[in-house]
Amino acid sequence: MRPGSLRFEGREIPIQDGDTVASAMFRAGVRTFSRSLKSRRRRGLYCGTGECPNCMVTVDGVPGVRSCVTDAAAGMRVERGRGWPSAEHDLLHVTDLMHPLMPVGFYMKTFVRPRFAWPLAERVIRRATGSGRLPEGRDPSRFTARHVHVDAAVVGAGGAGLAAALEAARAGDRVLLCDAFPIGSRMPPGPALDGIRALEAEVQAERAIEIVDRHAALGVYDGPTLALASDDELVQVHAGRVVLATGATETHEAFPGNDLPGVWLGRAASQMAGLHGVHPGRRVVVVASTEEGLDHLRTLVGAGVDVVAAVVPSAFLDDVPPTAEAIADGELISASGGGRGRVRSVTLRERGEQRRIPCDALVLSTGLAPRDELARMASPDEPVELVGDAALGDGVAPGVSGGYVCLCEDVSAHDLEQAWSEGFRSAEILKRYTTATMGPCRGAMCGRALAAFAARRSEGRDRAAAPRTAARPPVRPVALEALAASVHEVIEKRTSLHDTHLAAGARLGWSSGWKRPFAYGDWREEYAAVRERAGLMDVGTLGKILIAGRDAATLVDRVFPGRVADLAPGRSRYVLALYEAGYVADDGILGALGDGTFFLTSTSGGAERMDARLREWTFRLGLHVHLLDRTSELGAIVVAGPDARDLLGSLSDDAIDAAALPHGGLREITVAGVPCTALRTGFVGELAFELHHPRSGGPRLWAELIRAGERVDARPFGMDALELLRLEKGHPYIGQDTLPDDTPAKLGLDRAVDMGKSWFVGRAALERLARGPVGRRLVGLSFEGGPADAAELRGMPVGAGGEIVGRVTSAGRSPALVRSIGLAWVRTRDGELPAALTAGDATASVVPTPFYDPEGARLRG
Amino acid sequence: MTLRIPCPNCGERPHTEFAFGGEARLHEAPDDEADFARVFLPDNDPGSARERWFHALGCRTWFELTRDATTNRIG
Repeated sequence: MRPGSLRFEGREIPIQDGDTVASAMFRAGVRTFSRSLKSRRRRGLYCGTGECPNCMVTVDGVPGVRSCVTDAAAGMRVERGRGWPSAEHDLLHVTDLMHPLMPVGFYMKTFVRPRFAWPLAERVIRRATGSGRLPEGRDPSRFTARHVHVDAAVVGAGGAGLAAALEAARAGDRVLLCDAFPIGSRMPPGPALDGIRALEAEVQAERAIEIVDRHAALGVYDGPTLALASDDELVQVHAGRVVLATGATETHEAFPGNDLPGVWLGRAASQMAGLHGVHPGRRVVVVASTEEGLDHLRTLVGAGVDVVAAVVPSAFLDDVPPTAEAIADGELISASGGGRGRVRSVTLRERGEQRRIPCDALVLSTGLAPRDELARMASPDEPVELVGDAALGDGVAPGVSGGYVCLCEDVSAHDLEQAWSEGFRSAEILKRYTTATMGPCRGAMCGRALAAFAARRSEGRDRAAAPRTAARPPVRPVALEALAASVHEVIEKRTSLHDTHLAAGARLGWSSGWKRPFAYGDWREEYAAVRERAGLMDVGTLGKILIAGRDAATLVDRVFPGRVADLAPGRSRYVLALYEAGYVADDGILGALGDGTFFLTSTSGGAERMDARLREWTFRLGLHVHLLDRTSELGAIVVAGPDARDLLGSLSDDAIDAAALPHGGLREITVAGVPCTALRTGFVGELAFELHHPRSGGPRLWAELIRAGERVDARPFGMDALELLRLEKGHPYIGQDTLPDDTPAKLGLDRAVDMGKSWFVGRAALERLARGPVGRRLVGLSFEGGPADAAELRGMPVGAGGEIVGRVTSAGRSPALVRSIGLAWVRTRDGELPAALTAGDATASVVPTPFYDPEGARLRG
Repeated sequence: MTLRIPCPNCGERPHTEFAFGGEARLHEAPDDEADFARVFLPDNDPGSARERWFHALGCRTWFELTRDATTNRIG
């Protein structure tokens, strides 16, 4: 015996060896396991296989746990979810008595008018329904995700699944065998379990079979791919073929009283008696029309349960143990309840005569409903097959004579009749209207009953293979956090200077997949250092692509709209990249290294797309080009400011004067012993050097620059200072200041386009667009009034004459100009920009960009 | 979920490694109208079509293949 007990609603319930939470509760006398969703009817143990919603309880704060398939453990806290004040005494049970007043679609029909009533009604209804409270304050998903590749995936480790796995492995396949539960659990001892154990031993010995138990299969997708979830991981199985040995559930029949506590499916009852040694009732009636049902009957009788009557087909009469009265071909009419809603009697029709048998439990084994949902959701041509009971096909359709068709959503046969009379006349729309099959069992119990109802009503005849509602994943309930597995595992891109920045106390933040310093202290001081002395910035995040090979010059000439053919070695130029639609995709700096080789820097985060773009056009134009994305192997540091040359000169013996390395120039130099490709760029609007260097040399280069910079009080600067530095120069960030359909003309970047070229990507579109007016322009704005920190204007609509004509995309207070400036797109009318613009409470006037140093004297220095 | 794409370098790989590059079309058209259609009006026909794919999370090769958009059958 396993020591211990679980804590159930304030009292201790002892646990015995092999107990599930449900068996321990049942042994302790619990009969009402839950209250139904709407009518608050008492629900007791029913399916015993983890399908129906009846046994759902809250375990250790987690709601929706199926107690019949959850092993009991000492110290568990178990509560029933619904019920006010408790599941045992639920005052909201009055809704069941009001059922005639609350037809199907009640909520939608009743509270729609007046309109204000619905939010109020919804709050009340919300409080009254639901299956428990979500745990609060839990950590982000603990789930991990993994992929498995196998030749064959077998779902279900019962007899058929074990045999299928063995067969596949012996034929040379790598096999994954999964089951929602441990192999052979939930089976009472007997020859069936012995057979499973024997097969299991063979499977365990087979090295080509990976057994993944306690993993529920949620869905089959194209591939075929199988999604499995356990309580700590999500597995995607990519399989050559999928074998579904998911077995069958026992048929859920809808008859008056079918949802009373005390009505059991055979498996649940025989488990309770045979496995846990608890009698499902004192006087039990068994209805068994399958071989399996006879087994359950024997198990019950063998466990000493008092079976007062067994209703069987006449062929089975001889198999009924003598202690029970055998009733041949009896027809089950109804079950009636007594106090606390439990079964008190069963009414049968025997040879035309109705007969009432007093009992306190009714055990049903009337047929098998194959679990075929996974197969039904697979594409028809996928290698997905059903074996074993899952392949039985549609047998006898379940009866729908009353009671509850859908236990999860509390949809009765009467509700379906009513919906039918309102004109909802197929399984699919009955489902949508009544929500039948939409509960936690995912239609496993009720799907066939709903289909049978629709078939009978529409055609007046029984059809086992009635059209069923579409099967969709997940076929088993799954926690949302399982589906969120690994979302917190993000790849954080870091430059070689990451630790250096941290040590310097930098505030790091996300920027297009990278962690970058936004400021080291007060960004205004960093800004001032760049404008007045010198600043250092880690721009290792820039895309850095080497373009070489016979057709490299042709490729860059075709991909970039500007003139690049005349680019002399040692020179660089601003380039745009366009889509074929003529819209601006990205920008960068293209430098010529000589020998027809080019070095391209692109925006941080745009490197992969730029590389993809270059590769695409290499392929489409049939060129011979070698592309090497060096983004991750090169670091880059910008040294910018009036003192930048002095600073760099103190660490390098190479010529870096204006003649040797002018603005736009590019050359190889050595700085502090680190070989660098130096580019004279001008993003911040000052004399600036961009030093591209081997990543390993980054920390040393940075440290030497910082040390040498002490003389002029140089500072490292981050994204915050850069934002204003580039804004003062009027440089748009592609993506932040632009819209997806911005053309070079809209952005004022016509200088980066040479329409004299015969062909480049997007040229035909630009030519077409040039025939019409430019409908919108990105312009520089100067603000009067408005907030002290103009950054608050970012995102504001731009107004003119009471209309919205644009939007502010960047804004800030310029220390250099001592005024508020910004970039904004503004709609034109007849090609003209409107006058008298406003943004928030500021007035705005269009001014030419760059705002700062318009002639560029400082950056050319 | 897992459409498998035959990469000319790497063989058959899950589609999640690839980027779809659109219908394979020429990079220019005889006149303006045809160019507009070339850029903005994909055929989107059910059935087989020539497509461009990019092995983005693999060898970064572009290639063309023929895929049936209704069945995902390739070739």
